[in-house]
Parts: sequence; C-alpha cells; structure tokens
Amino acid sequence: MLSRSAISRNAPRALQSAASRRGMASAATPGLQYDVSESSGVKVANREPAGVTGTLALVAKAGTRYQPFPGFSDALELFAFQSTLKRSALRITREVELLGGEFSSTHSRENVVLKTKFLANDLPYFVELLAEVASQTKYPSYELNEIIAKLLKLRQVAIANDSEAVAVDAAHGVAFHQGLGETITPSAHAPYEKTLSAEAVAEFAKNAYAKSNIALVGSGISSAELSKWVGDFFKDLPSAGTSGQYQLKSNSPSNYHGGEQRISTKAGNSVVIAFPGTSAFGTSAYKPAASVLAALLGGESSIKWTPGFSLLGQATQGFNQLRVSTKNYAYSDAGLLTVTLSGKANQVASAGKSVVEALNKAAAGEIPADEIKKATALAKFQALESAQTLATGLEATGSALINGSKPYQIGEVAQSVDSVTEAQVKDLAKSLLSGKASVASVGDLSQIPYASDLGLTV
Amino acid sequence: MSAPSLTNFVVKRPWLKRWMTPIANWYTDAAGYRRLGLKADDLIPEESDTVQTALKRLPPKEAYDRIFRIRRAFQCSISHTLLPPEEHVKPHEDVEYLSPIIREIEKENAERADLDNLVVNRKK
Repeated sequence: MLSRSAISRNAPRALQSAASRRGMASAATPGLQYDVSESSGVKVANREPAGVTGTLALVAKAGTRYQPFPGFSDALELFAFQSTLKRSALRITREVELLGGEFSSTHSRENVVLKTKFLANDLPYFVELLAEVASQTKYPSYELNEIIAKLLKLRQVAIANDSEAVAVDAAHGVAFHQGLGETITPSAHAPYEKTLSAEAVAEFAKNAYAKSNIALVGSGISSAELSKWVGDFFKDLPSAGTSGQYQLKSNSPSNYHGGEQRISTKAGNSVVIAFPGTSAFGTSAYKPAASVLAALLGGESSIKWTPGFSLLGQATQGFNQLRVSTKNYAYSDAGLLTVTLSGKANQVASAGKSVVEALNKAAAGEIPADEIKKATALAKFQALESAQTLATGLEATGSALINGSKPYQIGEVAQSVDSVTEAQVKDLAKSLLSGKASVASVGDLSQIPYASDLGLTV
Repeated sequence: MSAPSLTNFVVKRPWLKRWMTPIANWYTDAAGYRRLGLKADDLIPEESDTVQTALKRLPPKEAYDRIFRIRRAFQCSISHTLLPPEEHVKPHEDVEYLSPIIREIEKENAERADLDNLVVNRKK
C-alpha cells in the first residue's frame, strides 16, 4: 500500500477527490505522467520512477494508413529484429535470451511499434538494439522470400478465418475509404506481391524510421540515462525521409463516408455496425461523449456472473451463442465507434436489431440517469486504464508525440469524461442515427439482414 | 562443399601469385568447361542443403542463366561437340556468382553452431 503522500505526488486530480477509496496501486507501478524530452532530434517520453525492469518502445508513424503500397507496414513490422549490418537475426535472438529480455513488433493502422522489455541494467543494450534495427537492418531479398512472405501468408490465413477481424477491416474500409480504410493486412486475394520487394521495403524503412517520424516511449527507466543513451545511439538516424516512390503517404485528413459491405465466408458470422466515433485524446476531433456512449452500449460485462448494466448486455441476455462488444477505435484525427456482434447467424441477425433499438432509446433520452453515471465511470476507467497499461499506453503516447500533441495527460482525460452530460450523450446518439452508418456483414449472408432492414441509413 | 585449397597461401605471397597466375589460367582453360559454355560456379555439386539454399537465393535472372548454361552444356555433351569459339565463356565472364552466397550460408550455419555451444562468462 502506498502512503498518502506517495499517492498525491503522482496521482492525477481526478483521483485526489477519491481519497477515501482504497489505493489499489502496488509499490512497483510506475507513475502516470510522462517526462517528455528530445535527445539528438528524437522525441523521448519516459515514465519514472526507475524500477528493476524497464520497457522501451519505438513508435514509428508508418502504419497501414501511411504505407505507399499494400503490405509494406506488415513487411516493415516483420523485418524488425531481423539481420542487421552488425548482427544476424539469430545472434540478436540469442543475446536477448541471455539477457532475459523480450522484444516484439506490431503494427496498427497508424503506427509500427517495436517493443522491448528488459532488466534495468541492460538499458544501453536495448537502446542500441532499437537504434540498430531502425537504421541498420539489411532487408535482403532472401529474408523476404524465406521468412517475411511466409509469415505474411500465415497472417492472411489467420485473419481470413476470423470473421470478426474481416468485419472490422471492412467497416473501416467503408467508413474511411482511403487512409484509415486500408486493410490492416493485405488479403490473400490482393495483388500485393507486385509491389512488395526487399529494396522497396528498405527504401520505405528509411522514411519510416527517420527522426521526425519516430518517438521513443519508456517506462520504469531513469529519464536521464535514457536520454543519454538515446543521444549516443540514435544520432546516426537520418533526420528526415527521402522523397521517391516509397515515401510515406501524405497525411491527408480522414473523412467519414459510411456504407455497407457484405462478405460471405464459412469462417463464422460477424456484423460490425460502426459510426463516427472520437479521435484520440488531445486531438481536435476528441468527443468524450462517444466513449461514454460506447460504454453505455457495451455488451461485454466487466464483472463476473452478470450481464452488466450496459444496454446491449441487457438486450442480448437470452442469446447464448453470441458475443457483443462496443469499442471506440481512436486515431489521430478520427475515430470509429463500432458495435461488433459475432456468433450464430440467426442470433447475430436479431441482436443487430437490438443495437438499433438501444441507440433509439439513447436518442430519445429514455436512459435512466444512473446508467449514464455508470457508463461515465466505466468510460473514465477504460480511458485511464488504457493510458496506464503499457500495452496500449506506449503506442498512444508515442503517437501523440509524433503527431505533435501532448502525451496523455491523465488528469485532463478524467475531467473531460466526467464533464459529459446526459444531453450530450442523447444528442450524439441522435446524430449517429440520422447520419450514415458503416455496416459490415460477414458470414452466412442468407440470414444476416441488410442495414436498411435494421433501420440504419447507409 | 569446399575442398582443401592453397589459394589463400598463394594469394598472400605476391611473388608466388605472379608465378602461379599464368599456370592457373592455363589450367582453368585446359579444364575445358568454358568451351561448353559453363562458369566455374556451375560445377559446384548441388547435392547439399547449403547449395540448395544458395540456389534458392539466386536472383531470378541468375538462376535462369545458370539453367540455360547447364542445359546447353548437356546438349554439347550428348552430341560430343564444343560450342563455337565466340560462345565460349570468356575468362572475364567466369566470375563467382554462387560462391559468395554459399559462403554467407556457411557463415550463418557456423554462427548457429557456435551459439549453440556457447559458454557464458558473466562479469562478476
């Protein structure tokens, strides 16, 4: 248990009012505020205090939204920690194993994230490793053919067999068309191999890992040491990308379009009903009401043995072969509020109607005030938790740094969610219903209704 | 795949290299593979994992040319003929195209073996 003074030093204002609540943070939890600095031209954010283990991530603004041709973000992600000019991939793996560390890479629609976790003493090794991956990866064509292309094919199979992933991808496609609408991994039917070559990825990597395009986000590391080592190892990185065929796609603002897409597959049944949501915190299109509405619609219970208070959780109680969840996908300049239904085709079909009914109820203002209060509390928890949890917080912070806004300011997030009123939620639900929805239906199309049958305009 | 070789010994001694080069050139030419339109690297036995991997790593154009040379040499062999002199492989065309890849793969394999037998001495 932390002492009172320890809480008040790090905790945001939102939590100060709840002094009577139990402090659940363990002594090892790092603080919530990031120290932001710049070291040899690279933006660095770090969360102290330094602990026994640390996490360091390199966030590059090179997700599918910015890739010049399909598959480039995937390839860049998979090429991370492969052979460099100094060391082979095998040596990197064995060395990290000996140090007891961990590395992984992922990509999202906006970012490619290289993440390392390690014992605090090994910080210099891992800063050097990240710098080496960013600036000195070899990108030989045989690695593309022998490793990357095969992994990409497996990934395509995995996504094609996950109806929910296909539906979320399709919903993004109809909602945003280009940019954010790009598929997260090119489908097996797409002719992506035409443009994907090792030389092209190498060229793309130079742009993706340019100093102006990356941010380093650490947690549990000493800020002074981090900026010292970053200054040493990252100074050789080019400060800006080159121009050419394989440069990053320009940052054109996302527009919401809406529409419907139906894809038949044997891999399961999913329907994604999506509306314009809120962008990430700190950006211009941030609307806290959307996150409250997402929590209100809900579907998944956060508490055991109960369907939960959420409207969809209540409405779909009788369905035993259905999974419902509501999520707001927040990006740097737009967001997508999605309700995902997956399970048996007939249950997905009837649950689709419940979604529209629930929205109608919210738009008519028939939701009791205490439910909105519960939803506000849940939305606040989710926002704060995603900032605190490393898995989501690192990328969000890095993305905020690259896009020029401030890193997550915990106190302000809590305040803005708290300030959402019932009327705001009602107005938002109304505007969603009157505007265009994006509906993606995947699975047994003979049983899944069209959007117009559900009462949505597309 | 490599046989014992004196090459390094010779190359390190310029005087010896000066002596040996004409003899080596004569010997290589006398071996006759160039008259069948082959390069030295075409003669490397394919029946090993290392060479198989190396062949897969060849750029498409190189792989195509290699098969072309081998098939042409095969035809020559069957018909007991040599290529016309203008189609012989010239000494300056007889360069290593496969051996660098083989050496790289051998290095990778050696590194893996080394790492598998690693003894770690931690700093006290």
